[in-house]
Amino acid sequence: MKLNEFIIPEDLKSAQSALEKLGEKGFAVAGGTSLHFLGIVEKTAVDISHLGLSGIQKQGGAYLIGATTSLGDLMKFKDQGWVLDQVALHTSTQQIRNISTLGGNIVRVFPWNDFPVALLALDATLYIEGVAEKAYSSDDYFNGQPIRLFQPGQLLTRVEVPVLKPGQGFGYHKEVRLHAGFSLMTAAAVITVKSGRIDGIRVAASAGIALPARLTLVEAALGGQAADAASLQQAVANGTAALAWKGKEGMSDEYAAHLGRVVLMDVLSAALLQAQGE
Amino acid sequence: MKNTRHLSFSVNGEAKEFLVAPDEKLLDLLRREGLTGTKHGCGTGSCGSCTVIMDGKTVYSCILYAFQAEGRAIETIEGVGDFDNPHPLQTALVEEGAVQCGFCIPGIVLSAKALLAEIPQPTDAELKVYMDGNLCRCTGYEKIEVALHKVIAAGSCGGAK
Ligand SMILES: Cc1cc2nc3c(=O)[nH]c(=O)nc-3n(C[C@H](O)[C@H](O)[C@H](O)COP(=O)(O)OP(=O)(O)OC[C@H]3O[C@@H](n4cnc5c(N)ncnc54)[C@H](O)[C@@H]3O)c2cc1C
Repeated sequence: MKLNEFIIPEDLKSAQSALEKLGEKGFAVAGGTSLHFLGIVEKTAVDISHLGLSGIQKQGGAYLIGATTSLGDLMKFKDQGWVLDQVALHTSTQQIRNISTLGGNIVRVFPWNDFPVALLALDATLYIEGVAEKAYSSDDYFNGQPIRLFQPGQLLTRVEVPVLKPGQGFGYHKEVRLHAGFSLMTAAAVITVKSGRIDGIRVAASAGIALPARLTLVEAALGGQAADAASLQQAVANGTAALAWKGKEGMSDEYAAHLGRVVLMDVLSAALLQAQGE
Repeated sequence: MKNTRHLSFSVNGEAKEFLVAPDEKLLDLLRREGLTGTKHGCGTGSCGSCTVIMDGKTVYSCILYAFQAEGRAIETIEGVGDFDNPHPLQTALVEEGAVQCGFCIPGIVLSAKALLAEIPQPTDAELKVYMDGNLCRCTGYEKIEVALHKVIAAGSCGGAK
């Protein structure tokens, strides 16, 4: 990693105009923890950590999270319909959680990153601000490496996550070899149950597949089914058959497929139990 | 050094100015300033021996760029205690035989200090979460935990900043 220069701007507008002027020669630094993975050469760092883009607010049916909110703050925040604390708790170590930001975790996605999967399952909305602000659904935002959506000078400013309501449940699991190890398989799910049937379902996975993605075949197989373990089992078996699972750290692809199904059953079962109020 | 700039931040309560190169890490800056209690271990943000406290929170100084400390308050092991005036955490770690090679200990002390400043009476689960970024290859962690529990039970550094 070689940084040419650094800029510590006073406010959001100065940061954006510095980044716009620098173009390809500049990049935003939030927590800066990804820089040694990225191997950025001869660029100017623009520190965006002091620009007032941090904090969590509950507004109506959603949480508004500033892009530079640390993962540690996501872990400490507690509220009835808030589930990102469960995700942050399993992200790396306390020192990384203290400095890594939500924005940094989801602008340039590494296979092990925890938040893209959770935000896909939660149907989050992501806001990119340049001259004007543009909102993206999590489906559009994560439909490829998100950095593709950013022009020089544009920053992710906030993320809106719906408050989980009664009748909804969230499940999240990442499989690691060591406590702070990189994920071998990550999955998250949100299930809505109404009158004993699955009324809504979003499920996403990463690490075992190329980029974080929703598993739409599993969702299709579950929608409208009885809210029980048998439906989950059948949907996971049928809905994952065509997926191209990728093994890593010595796992064969076949083992990855098995692990993927086990992890999916875990998150769906947890989401279902919570949705049923258990 | 190319593109060096002056930065100011406080170290152990003292406001300071530093001449910093763009890609200098905080760890290297601290060590060249003589604060060698902050150790260079893995260099990849994994082992915790380079831990310092920035604005009350632990960070890995081996992956933090020095410029990221601008305007902030940094605390290193040198600001915590020494042989003549050890911090209660340092005393407990020694008394419980939790220090063997000692390389990880500055980081362990700082992580525990940051935890107890925030949560004076942590649960076992909280203790594990806040200490999860510090590896020790000698002790197997048990004696470290015993020492931390001793300090927590005594309430001897609860709320200390
Ligand atoms: C040893 C180690 C282990 C880790 N393990 C995990 C893990 O298990 N799970 C996990 O989820 N994460 C893990 N991480 C963290 C993760 O890999 C990233 O490093 C981190 O999420 C990046 O966040 P950051 O705030 O440091 O971003 P930065 O490194 O500052 O930025 C990352 C990228 O996003 C861009 N960017 C940042 N914020 C914005 C914004 N608001 N608008 C536009 N662009 C922006 C930057 O320009 C850069 O390209 C680990 C990190 C380390 C060092």
